Amino acid sequence: MAILGLWGTAFGEEGKLSGDISVTGVIREGKDSSAKFNEYRDIRDGIYGSINLKYDTPKQYVSFESKDIAYDTQSYAIEGGWWDIFRLRLYYDEMPHNFTYNARSLYSGVGTNYLTYAGATPVTNSLGWNTFDYTIRRKNMGGGLKFDYLNPFYLDVNVDQQRKSGVYPLAAAGTTPGGIGIELPTNIDYTTNNIKLDVGYSTKPLFLSVNYLYSRFENGESFQNFRNPATANTAAAMDTLYLPPENDYHKFGFKGGVALPFNSKFSVDLSSARARSSVTLSNMYVSNVTAAASNIGIRGLTGVALSNPYFNGNVSTDQLNLALTSNPKPFLNAKIFYKYYNKDNKSDVITTIDGANTYHNHLFDYRKNIYGAEVGVKLPAQFRVTAAYSFTKTERAREDFPKNRDNLIDLGLKWSGLKFMNAKVGYEYLDRAAEFHSLMDPVANLEPWVRRFDAAGQTRNTYKASVEFFPLDTLSLNIGYKYKHSDYKDTILGLTDTKAHEANADIDWQIHKRLRLFGYFDFEQRTLDQFQRQTTVNNDPALPPTATSFNWTSEAKENSYGYGIGADISIITDKLTLSLVHNSIKSDGTIDYTYLLGALPLPAGQNQDTIDLSSWDNYRLNNYVAKATYQVTKMLAVSATYAFEDFSYEDSQYSNYLYVPGTTGYMTGAYGDQSYRTHVVFLSVNVKF
Amino acid sequence: MQRKFLVFVFFPIVIMLYGIAVPLQAVSAEKGGRSETCKACHQGHYNSYINSPHAKKAIRKSPANAEGCESCHGDGKSHIQKGGGGGIDIFIFRDKKVDGTAKSAKCLDCHAESRTLSHWDMGAHKTAGVSCDNCHTVHSGKKMNLKTAQPELCLSCHRGIRMQITKQSHHPIREGKMKCTDCHDHHGGFEKKLIKAGSVNELCYTCHAEKRGPYFWEHPPVEENCQTCHTVHGSNHGKLLTHRVPQLCQSCHDATRHPGTIYTNFGNFGAASQSNRMFARSCLNCHSEVHGSTAPSSRGKTLVR
Repeated sequence: MAILGLWGTAFGEEGKLSGDISVTGVIREGKDSSAKFNEYRDIRDGIYGSINLKYDTPKQYVSFESKDIAYDTQSYAIEGGWWDIFRLRLYYDEMPHNFTYNARSLYSGVGTNYLTYAGATPVTNSLGWNTFDYTIRRKNMGGGLKFDYLNPFYLDVNVDQQRKSGVYPLAAAGTTPGGIGIELPTNIDYTTNNIKLDVGYSTKPLFLSVNYLYSRFENGESFQNFRNPATANTAAAMDTLYLPPENDYHKFGFKGGVALPFNSKFSVDLSSARARSSVTLSNMYVSNVTAAASNIGIRGLTGVALSNPYFNGNVSTDQLNLALTSNPKPFLNAKIFYKYYNKDNKSDVITTIDGANTYHNHLFDYRKNIYGAEVGVKLPAQFRVTAAYSFTKTERAREDFPKNRDNLIDLGLKWSGLKFMNAKVGYEYLDRAAEFHSLMDPVANLEPWVRRFDAAGQTRNTYKASVEFFPLDTLSLNIGYKYKHSDYKDTILGLTDTKAHEANADIDWQIHKRLRLFGYFDFEQRTLDQFQRQTTVNNDPALPPTATSFNWTSEAKENSYGYGIGADISIITDKLTLSLVHNSIKSDGTIDYTYLLGALPLPAGQNQDTIDLSSWDNYRLNNYVAKATYQVTKMLAVSATYAFEDFSYEDSQYSNYLYVPGTTGYMTGAYGDQSYRTHVVFLSVNVKF
Repeated sequence: MQRKFLVFVFFPIVIMLYGIAVPLQAVSAEKGGRSETCKACHQGHYNSYINSPHAKKAIRKSPANAEGCESCHGDGKSHIQKGGGGGIDIFIFRDKKVDGTAKSAKCLDCHAESRTLSHWDMGAHKTAGVSCDNCHTVHSGKKMNLKTAQPELCLSCHRGIRMQITKQSHHPIREGKMKCTDCHDHHGGFEKKLIKAGSVNELCYTCHAEKRGPYFWEHPPVEENCQTCHTVHGSNHGKLLTHRVPQLCQSCHDATRHPGTIYTNFGNFGAASQSNRMFARSCLNCHSEVHGSTAPSSRGKTLVR
């Protein structure tokens, strides 16, 4: 208020102060062990508030917005400026990301980078373990200035800082190859600072912009140290999980556009960016004291020889976009474009000699050349057709698929011939050709038979249709359907086929000045088919099955639907309103496995039905909200809201959860208990002025 | 922390604004128009207009410095002579049968020089005939004159996304902590899906800078496109994964030993062939560094450290 008052006095002009202040009390009751309810929220017993203020004069304005004051989702923003001269904005925003409450760990030191336990071996009774929450808190703050005083020249400056801190579930294998799995509560302490500058000239017929971005990521923890129960070492021998390296990122860019005859425009976007990291590589690792001949004999550490102990990551990205758009006639618009994108990895290649094994890091990079055209034409009888074609050539430094060629066609037709409806149909076709290479012997290896879906050849057909009805000004009804089918036509082993059906419908009807009804329904079915091979020696998938070398398939199916219904009711005009909403979403997933063993039997005790998974991320979320608002005066409103939310989650991989599953690992309960049922009451007072 | 932020950032900025703003001078006068005549019949619309930035004379190109209502609705002389009526000899935006390009042209008369619209011609919205008034209302005094808040505004056309953002694994869009426009440039741009970066990964690194590397040991599909494994709007599977682990990993990693092994219901907790390659997070129980690693030897190469 003081700021706004100062502002008004400064201008010496008569201004208008408006805004609203609200205070909300929250009472929550329900199962609190699941973090899912508050995954990105902070709904708990207490009082929070919001203040929104705006001071507006004929020439200037300043506004202040705040939400959820005193809660973990609080946000504040202040913005002010002089119309057509400048605008300045500052903000601060918090958000939690809660993963799991009351997780358990055999380790002490959760929340630090040093996880250890007492004694020679960990306690296996998890009831005595330390409990903690898997939670990341995100805090963003920043500001920006838009300066237009020298119009058509402009200047934009933005600075921001993003902080993430908390405990996150990562993991490590006890030994490698193979070994137990150890879930590690990892300390997260990330800070990213960004600054963006944009200087430009914007008028008809010319637009020019030069921009620069600097981003620095800092990691407060380079390592998560942990005592490894699989290596039989002393407490002093700490194993290490390596956390993301710090990096610097610079990007310079230029954008431009110039108007041409025939209502055309030529646009260009050119940029060059570089990301760098610098890491001192470790020349040893913790292993079982008896595991390696090269064991250097101290605390179970195995030494490795590095051709260079310092790794300098250096990835540059250059891109060029060119486009010519034209709207020569009111019924026609068209675009032709070209894009070049090159990611060049100039990082260090370092050789590691570890006993009899030699490794070197492979530098991945890629480049894309894309060109295409789009056209939109308005036809007689209120038809509008759109057509687009693009060709993409991808070249990547990868052994299996060094090249892709994509032909993409997109067609759309819209009809607006009736006063009360619009109808649209669309079709998209993708043909991806992939060059496959493998230097490995297909008899001795499975690799030559694998086609990785991200780059494998495929044909994809997508069909879309939708109808929008608006027979009355107060009624709209929409229906849509989409079918997408990807056929990985060249794949031998891997993902072979995906299908997705999507349907949706919604209605919004102001039946009466006192009553509005609305609702929606969404449906989705996804199917993913894989063909795989389990083998030790006989790699050719065409070979007849044996007990240890055979093919198998999986068909994953997800059926999901969601709906919502609601009503806004004006019980006393301009005084008392009631809002009722119910939303629901449900998903059922299954996996149908098939052993392709021919006449051979499945493993003892198993058959083709009992191996299937019936709960594959099955969940149902229901919520009900009833809100009554009473407008006491023009300025004062009070409201009472009751909300009920019920989330049930079931999954085969988390059923019968074990913290110490035999000799296969040490778990912490991450993501293990997600169901909740919660009632919440909100009581609010809102003052507007 | 918050107090420090107020003391060291907010207050100095306010004082700076004061210093900059006071010497600046105001602007031109209104040229003409029949806004007062319009007001007689359209009191509600007039009131909302007068409270909007369009009525600010301090904005050089505002209707207030031109023909007022007629700047957007056209000459109203004939409309008045005929006694008014919706769309009678006057341009109105709510007429769903008026071509979107024609509606946008009205707005672009003044806004085409705005830097935020410098690439409007490039976008799929223009090609599809979407007009400014599909999202904005000229009479509102609200911020950006949006008809409704995001994401509802965008979902009113992009209905297929509605289900995605309500799935159990989602970005915090429905919680109001992310907006569609954080990632998409709705006013047009060079990129597919109007994303605000030169590539998908570049966009994701805006908030997930820790994934930027560059890593000593890389996972190539990760470096090329985050969407190989993640879907952006919502998923039935945790971490916005397109497919559940181990299936997702096995789609690419079929080999002797455990990558090619069939892990079924018999690999889950307490089952006969219980396996840490199947229960809980499956492959990620060991290979958690899937975005890259700087660990030594095979530990880094296999992304288990």
